[in-house]
Amino acid sequence: MKEKHIQILSIALTLCGGFFVVWIYWAAPKNLVEITTKAKETIESAKTKTQVVIGNYEVDKEKFDEGLLAFRQDKFIVARDNFNKADKEKRDAKTQFYIAYSFYRQGWGRVSSNDELFKKGLEQIEEVIKLDDDYKSDDSNLIMKTPVELKHEFEEGLRITAADFNPLRLVRKRK
Amino acid sequence: MTADRQKNDSKAENLDDGVVDLPVISGEFVDVSLSEESSEEDTKISPKNKDEIGFQKTEAQNSNIGNHRYNAHYIFLPCIFLLVALLGGMRIGVKNSEFIFLRPALICLVFAAVLLVLFFRANLIRLDGWFNEKFSTQKNIANGAVIFTLFAAASQIFNALIPEQGLPFWIIAFCFFWTLWNNLFAEFDTKRLLKSLGGLFSLAFVAKYLILANLVSNGQGNWITRIWENPTGEAFTYFLNIPQFASATGYIQFFALGFYLIGLFLVNPDTEFANGGG
Repeated sequence: MKEKHIQILSIALTLCGGFFVVWIYWAAPKNLVEITTKAKETIESAKTKTQVVIGNYEVDKEKFDEGLLAFRQDKFIVARDNFNKADKEKRDAKTQFYIAYSFYRQGWGRVSSNDELFKKGLEQIEEVIKLDDDYKSDDSNLIMKTPVELKHEFEEGLRITAADFNPLRLVRKRK
Repeated sequence: MTADRQKNDSKAENLDDGVVDLPVISGEFVDVSLSEESSEEDTKISPKNKDEIGFQKTEAQNSNIGNHRYNAHYIFLPCIFLLVALLGGMRIGVKNSEFIFLRPALICLVFAAVLLVLFFRANLIRLDGWFNEKFSTQKNIANGAVIFTLFAAASQIFNALIPEQGLPFWIIAFCFFWTLWNNLFAEFDTKRLLKSLGGLFSLAFVAKYLILANLVSNGQGNWITRIWENPTGEAFTYFLNIPQFASATGYIQFFALGFYLIGLFLVNPDTEFANGGG
């Protein structure tokens, strides 16, 4: 082999080997099987990030529909899981809005709300506002159409006010 | 017959003239007594290089040796150092024998940089033999890549030999710092440096994987059982704050250290490999 070719091979070997070592330490697989699964995850992640950079990023419609079906059946944990799989990069305002709404519906209580879920919902809706401040849902099933309304519900649910002791609260409906 | 007779005749004529045409033998008369023991002759090693003694290698042989060294330098050496870089931070967990990959602490990178300076000072690596304007760009880049793998391997070797946390981390790190700092100002040649490093790393390996590893408890059972069965081990584990790993970790690091020292042994001071030269 010519010297030039050996030198080029050496550079390529160092780059590939170095990249592999850095990746192993970043991914930290726990066993040999996990190496392949982590490699697949890394490739998938790289693909979606490239799509975002290019501007070709799209939500997985199939997963989104499954998530929406579960959301309507009040299976909120399954719904959030499917929504997260549909929008891996968390770039779609519509999907993230549904995730926030699932926190609201799951955490809502006739007497008192689940503070932990409402806090998560509040963080989630802040992300939706960052993605798209003017987003408005076209789903007739949802009573609150905009992120601002949902955010207000979360904030009211986390606050303890005199209105919380109003007995008429017991007849109110979940939005 | 006639020619011989003519020769004899000419010899007879010479004798008659008084001129004798004989080969001249000159020498020195040495009086050696047989009863004395002969003194030992001083044996001196020829100042010539080993390569110059004996039969000279052919051009094909020289070219072959050059090729082997070339391949060893550009292919084999980066592979060894990358393997060391991979294994140096690897630990095996106690519970499920899971892989644990620990990134090197910043101090490991500092020590690796100091080690590289030592290599240059001791002429294990000659700067103008590796990076030179006479070389082509790709040769300089390829040599730079080999140096980078050497640096990465050195960082991971320190990562392997310095305890991960706690009081032992600071003690061993200080010992390394002290030794490397002193070595920076010492006179070294390549052989001495390699011997010194071999001794230093071996001692650190023994300290971490044979002494400290056997001081700590294995962590099985609840805390009451562990204190009852092995109070000393539990005390050491608590005070020294040493993490527990499976014993396979020691084996992996043993081979990582071995490969690193082999790689250092194979490093050439310069990168001119033509005609079998170094």
